[in-house]
Amino acid sequence: MRPTRGTSRIARRAPAAPAALANLVSSTAFGVVAVAAVLAAIGFLAAREARADSRVKVVATLPNLGTIATAVGVDRIDLTVIASGVQDAHFVDPKPSWIVKLRAADVLLVNGLDLEIGWVPPLAQGARNQKVLPGGRGYVDASTGVRVVEIPAVLTRAEGDVHPYGNPHYLGDPLNAEIVAGTIAEALKRADPEGADLYEQNRRAFVARLHEAVFGRDLVGLAGGSKLAREAAAGTLDEFLDGTSIGGAPLRTRLGGWLGKMAPARGRPIVTYHKDFSYFAARFGIVVVDYVEPKPGIPPSARHLDELTGRLKRGDVRVIVTRPYVEHRSTDALAEKTGVKVLTLPLEVGGDPQATDYFRLFDLATGKLAAALGAAASPQAPGAAGGAAR
Amino acid sequence: MRSIRIALALSLVAVLMPAAIVAAPAAAQEAGPPERREVDELKAEVRALRDQVSALQRQLDALMKGEAAAAPAVPPAVATTPLAAPPAAPMPAAAPTPPPATGPARAPSLMNPAISAVFQLIGNTAIGGREDADGFDLSEAEIAFESTVDPYAKMNLYLSFPADESPEIEEGYATTFALPASLQLKGGRFKSAFGKWNGLHTHAFPTIERPDALVNFFGEESLANDGLSLSWLIPNPAGVYVDSTTEVGTAREGTSFNSAARALTWTEHLAFFFNAGDNDTVEMGATAAGGQTGPTETLLADLDANGLTGTLVPDERLRSAVYGVDVTWKWKPLQQNTYRSFLWQTEALLSRRRAQTLDPALFLDETTIASAGGYSYLEGQWTRRWKLGLRYDLSGFPDSATDREWGAAYVVKFVPSEFQELRFQVKYTRFNESAAQRFGVDEDDTRLLLEWIPVIGAHGAHEY
Repeated sequence: MRPTRGTSRIARRAPAAPAALANLVSSTAFGVVAVAAVLAAIGFLAAREARADSRVKVVATLPNLGTIATAVGVDRIDLTVIASGVQDAHFVDPKPSWIVKLRAADVLLVNGLDLEIGWVPPLAQGARNQKVLPGGRGYVDASTGVRVVEIPAVLTRAEGDVHPYGNPHYLGDPLNAEIVAGTIAEALKRADPEGADLYEQNRRAFVARLHEAVFGRDLVGLAGGSKLAREAAAGTLDEFLDGTSIGGAPLRTRLGGWLGKMAPARGRPIVTYHKDFSYFAARFGIVVVDYVEPKPGIPPSARHLDELTGRLKRGDVRVIVTRPYVEHRSTDALAEKTGVKVLTLPLEVGGDPQATDYFRLFDLATGKLAAALGAAASPQAPGAAGGAAR
Repeated sequence: MRSIRIALALSLVAVLMPAAIVAAPAAAQEAGPPERREVDELKAEVRALRDQVSALQRQLDALMKGEAAAAPAVPPAVATTPLAAPPAAPMPAAAPTPPPATGPARAPSLMNPAISAVFQLIGNTAIGGREDADGFDLSEAEIAFESTVDPYAKMNLYLSFPADESPEIEEGYATTFALPASLQLKGGRFKSAFGKWNGLHTHAFPTIERPDALVNFFGEESLANDGLSLSWLIPNPAGVYVDSTTEVGTAREGTSFNSAARALTWTEHLAFFFNAGDNDTVEMGATAAGGQTGPTETLLADLDANGLTGTLVPDERLRSAVYGVDVTWKWKPLQQNTYRSFLWQTEALLSRRRAQTLDPALFLDETTIASAGGYSYLEGQWTRRWKLGLRYDLSGFPDSATDREWGAAYVVKFVPSEFQELRFQVKYTRFNESAAQRFGVDEDDTRLLLEWIPVIGAHGAHEY
């Protein structure tokens, strides 16, 4: 049990470490230096290689931001998107491999409003790149300039996993993409002034395409996309469309695009899984009357599902909108008990194989919803029409 | 004839004017360039707004005059929005609203650091073995502060209030953001980057208590230093995460580096992180820590038993080194990562230290003691709220070549939300004869533990 007896007498300072340990330490030290030298050489070469690529290195946290950045930056940017479209943006894992991407980034695009609070700070703070830290010249909060809704008056987690700065799912309103495209274009111009004209040109093209997609080419041709977007932002689009006539017919008759497609569904009530549909619902006149989650981020309890079943049995709500990344057991059970239709709609680009870019994302969402709500229009008028006009 | 022509022209104008006005937004769009048209519209809007502002200003002036007459000492309240527009903000067509703020009253508190508090209530009962530890303990409460210092650094401070002990600074360090060449410097008191588990705070442990090997090699608390830590994110053509962390400092307590002399401890940790597809990640690490240590408990007891305390002075500067390797595999399916996951984490430690012993002739001898230990932890999650974990421990003791213990822990975790966790754990420990004799315990010990961890406030995100 005890070590073997040595020859030394009385207390004394230990001699220099025994040969074996000394050798180990010195060989370890030599090894560390050698390894460090090799790694430094590799690092130097890697850095040179990285510099050879003159494109602006953009990291976007979410696919929707990535797809808008692509539209504005096209081939002048080298884009990395962290989250996948099938992921829940609240719970992306901060894998250290993203730190490597952020280290070299010129621009970091974040959704903001604390949506990525659980994963962007550890990545950005580990990246050793001041540009991508809040306040850095490459840090771009895409929520800048967006009209944010549902800012809680009282902050308490008794209300679930609340977002203190308001609902962060603002790209559910396609017109907010215009604001985001402007923010991204400005960020790219700062990072790459030589490409400024191109970014501006691309932004305009994106916005023009967006206006046509939202309002329809016909109406945009008659009234101008910017005018329509301004009316929509001011909440006066309905008055404008009904109050302005051309050739004796109100402009509303020329409404096309996603708004036109969703027109038959306006005022219809739906239930969504999470509170991530507010902007979409407001833009397209859908009324969200309840949620499968009793509170944001809190999984549904049996009691809440019972209450919801009672609510759905009233018959006015015909559709539950859920997301690809949340459990389907609750919604399937609700569908089975009440006959309500469950629609799994992607929130982000890539959340469905067909949602390959921002336009296709809304093509898909509006198409599915219009079909479900329009077809499901019950004979009895929906309770909360919200001043819908057709 | 002439009058008829004039009348016709006038009636044409009368008919066309309203139509032209009504259809103006559309017709003008087709007629003129859109930019020009937008400019005209904007001008009109600006004029309207200017009129509104003037009207409001007049109303305000009138009100202020009235108020000034009533209460001249009170200045008019002017709401200020505590916001700074970002440089070169874009000019979107839609009316931009300022970023959110819940009111001016919030502004001063925005400068406060993020503050959070967490505690662990632990219930502990022996099923077989010692009963002296039975009961409940508010085992630790922690208050954490985190904020950026300035554009160049951030600071973290963790105050710990252990059960029945004085509060202490568990960690307090500043981390730089602005060093070149992918370097990051940390200074203060921090948990050493030794392997994976050592850096965790107790509430973030995967099981209720730390693995036996870490307790035996580093003590009841993590290996921690007061000193400096330099991390280098090593660039490589493969773009793989490779980090080297070098630490130098004065170790806080701990079994392997418990020299009473103020001796420096150094640690080198290399970490590699790989993605194996979208769902799987592998992290591998290797660590070496070196420092100095004092006499073993056995020697002090022997000196005391022989009445030699104070006569024979043991060496306080004996070399001690601990080496470790760690492997972590995580499976988290992208689409279902909040519902299903799997984790396998294993660490192995090897200690080599010099030690003095008292020989039968009452002389001090010196020798090297080698010992090893480690743990392996498996965790599976099959629903949003439930996780099941299993840990296997095997460990020696750095001051003994013969003492051993092994253990197994089974843990069930219930996670009602991100902000609290309930755990039930059964821990079985078996000591070998010499260890049981040394610690004066039974060879077998089985206990049931219960833990409740609530967290409030803005607790910083944990690392992956």
